[in-house]
Amino acid sequence: MTRTALKGTVVLLALAALVVAAPAAASEQHPSQAELEAILVCPSCHVPLDESNSSVAQQMKSFIATRIAAGDTRSEIVDELVGPPNNLGTAVLGVPRTHGFDLVAWVLPFLGIALGALAIGAGAWRWSRVRSEPAAVPLDPESERTVDEALARFDG
Amino acid sequence: MRALRLTAAVAVLALLGLLVWDVAHSSGGKVARDVDKGEIVKAPTFTLPLVASSGKLSLASLRGKVVVLNFWASDCVPCKQEQSELNRLAAKYASKGVVFLGIDEIEVRSFAQRYLAHYKVPYKSVADGDGSIAGKFGVTGTPETFFIDKLGRVVPPHIIATAKPSAVEAGIERALSA
Repeated sequence: MTRTALKGTVVLLALAALVVAAPAAASEQHPSQAELEAILVCPSCHVPLDESNSSVAQQMKSFIATRIAAGDTRSEIVDELVGPPNNLGTAVLGVPRTHGFDLVAWVLPFLGIALGALAIGAGAWRWSRVRSEPAAVPLDPESERTVDEALARFDG
Repeated sequence: MRALRLTAAVAVLALLGLLVWDVAHSSGGKVARDVDKGEIVKAPTFTLPLVASSGKLSLASLRGKVVVLNFWASDCVPCKQEQSELNRLAAKYASKGVVFLGIDEIEVRSFAQRYLAHYKVPYKSVADGDGSIAGKFGVTGTPETFFIDKLGRVVPPHIIATAKPSAVEAGIERALSA
């Protein structure tokens, strides 16, 4: 790869990262009512907030609207519902959080896939190994004579 | 290979043991069921945040007093219907060492605070945000009322739905004499 091509690749990668990261950062800083309702769950009926009309769901929607108007970030609003002041617990989360113990839920599937791939690889390697040929066992004189006679009949 | 099988067997047995332990040690809503059968049972302990102010309240801190434990929610119509009587009874029995304690079920705090202010509830309420304490008591809806004696035991009756004043008074008297 030439120096120019390498520079081009780096620039392209940086642009791609920017395309992905910019909306995520904007969503974190200025979340919308709809996106928060999509990632949160009604803790009493266990359906997404945007599909629930339960009393607590309506209270949560009202709380979200108030906090968005107050300028809270997405993480702040989620944290205020899960923990103080509302203490509704992690049951309001539609997806596990990406920090603390909840991170296990994100990591474990990939760990499982990696371990499975390792196990399959190890099995395939063992299965494909060339096994050493068993050493030839010499025939006893009686059997050797019988074989020779049979071969002679075929030849004759 | 043998070691792997042994490890897997040990892991399965350990998980089974954990499951059995959890089933054996969780009250699983047995309190309401046992009290409804006329039994006296130990009250599940809890420490929960106060609804109207900062700080927490522990049930253990009320040991030595009779506690009328009322599970409620701001959107619950029967809760609103019984509230004025509960307020009156809380004032009536305060001098006898009886404490009323509300447990607000799965709500956004500001709505619960509005309810307490609107109905001028004179006693403290704590927030059971995730409903775990209601689960331990075996509460199936709101309102429900339990009576805890001075030793921290739940005594019959257990009132489901709107509590009649006479039923609340009977529960208090039972808890005072237990």
